[in-house]
Amino acid sequence: MRPILLQGHERSLTQIKYNRDGDLLFSCSKDHVINVWYTHNGERLGTYDGHNGTVWTVDVDSESMYMVSGSADNQLRLWNVATGKCLYTWEFPTAVKRVAFSEDDKQVVCITEQRMGFQCTIRVFNINRTGDGTKQSKEPAHMFSPVGSKATVCAFTSQPGIIFTGHESGKVALFNYKTGEEVDSNERAHGDVVTDLQMSPDKTYCITSSKDKSARIHDTKTLDVIKTFTTETPLNSAAIAPNKPYVLLGGGQEAMSVTTTSLRQGKFETRFWHKVFEEEVGRVKGHFGPINTIAVHPKGISYASGGEDGFVRVHHFDESYFKTQPYGDLQIED
Amino acid sequence: EDQRESENVNTELLALRRRLVDEWNAWRARSTKELAEDGGHDHVKEKQSEEDKEEIE
Repeated sequence: MRPILLQGHERSLTQIKYNRDGDLLFSCSKDHVINVWYTHNGERLGTYDGHNGTVWTVDVDSESMYMVSGSADNQLRLWNVATGKCLYTWEFPTAVKRVAFSEDDKQVVCITEQRMGFQCTIRVFNINRTGDGTKQSKEPAHMFSPVGSKATVCAFTSQPGIIFTGHESGKVALFNYKTGEEVDSNERAHGDVVTDLQMSPDKTYCITSSKDKSARIHDTKTLDVIKTFTTETPLNSAAIAPNKPYVLLGGGQEAMSVTTTSLRQGKFETRFWHKVFEEEVGRVKGHFGPINTIAVHPKGISYASGGEDGFVRVHHFDESYFKTQPYGDLQIED
Repeated sequence: EDQRESENVNTELLALRRRLVDEWNAWRARSTKELAEDGGHDHVKEKQSEEDKEEIE
């Protein structure tokens, strides 16, 4: 499994995302730019230039027509994927930390940072998909500020009108975004900041990662914790592998808190865990710093990791990965 | 004796894994069914409204 190294970012990666077909990979970084790459050969297809700050988050719609990005320059931007043109810019009082498209591509949810007397706010925008995409409404369709711990991650669920959120305190919750009401919550889901949230293909369950060194699978309807994966390092990202019973976890101690002797490659591996047995099954080395973000190809044929070291590594699974049945032939539903 | 012990452990582990897989699959089946039912309501509504339209015509 020889990885393809994507070199083009000058600073650490913040989020990476495959498109629906899996032929493209979007990456955003502290270097203010967003790149898009061909996943089969690692060639850079283009760059989305315009943000004036760390780009924290990116998402692409199911048709690979529009992409949205959120940045420390307090902007949410809508881009034309093919031309690289910025179609619309929304401005807020604070940084945009997380964005996500809805299943039908008609809405975008975004989280803005709590800072300088401004509350953490969640907004849902209706995306006008007619015409050239430049005519968007300035005002959000829905907007609310969660009471208590600020939200760090969010995504639409399989239930209409409900979003799943992860918080700084380790809480996860379900919000009705039309009323702003907290429908359900699990205050003790994690013991520290929730750092990533990724949905299963049908959005009925999701995985969260946390600085508390664990990742968890939650039922997005009941908020029940279904599985827990406990590692020995703070986690920045967790992803679900389609068609295989694995989850991929990434993280690592910050350089600041690492002593020189333990600064070895081993700290920065992508960990593969069996999602049903909650057992670690393998590790893949590579990055020279903590892994900030992991994404798996929608068909499960490759995965990519983005690191604090500024590199993106794309790994195409080899034949043995698909053939191996380390736990026999038990049939496990996706 | 050691062999028998390790066989016992293996059998227990196998049983545990089988149970975990069964529980997981049962939960997945429940979620998928609920999702289909939730979506199903909309389909019923759509069908009804289509029928209504036909009557109007």
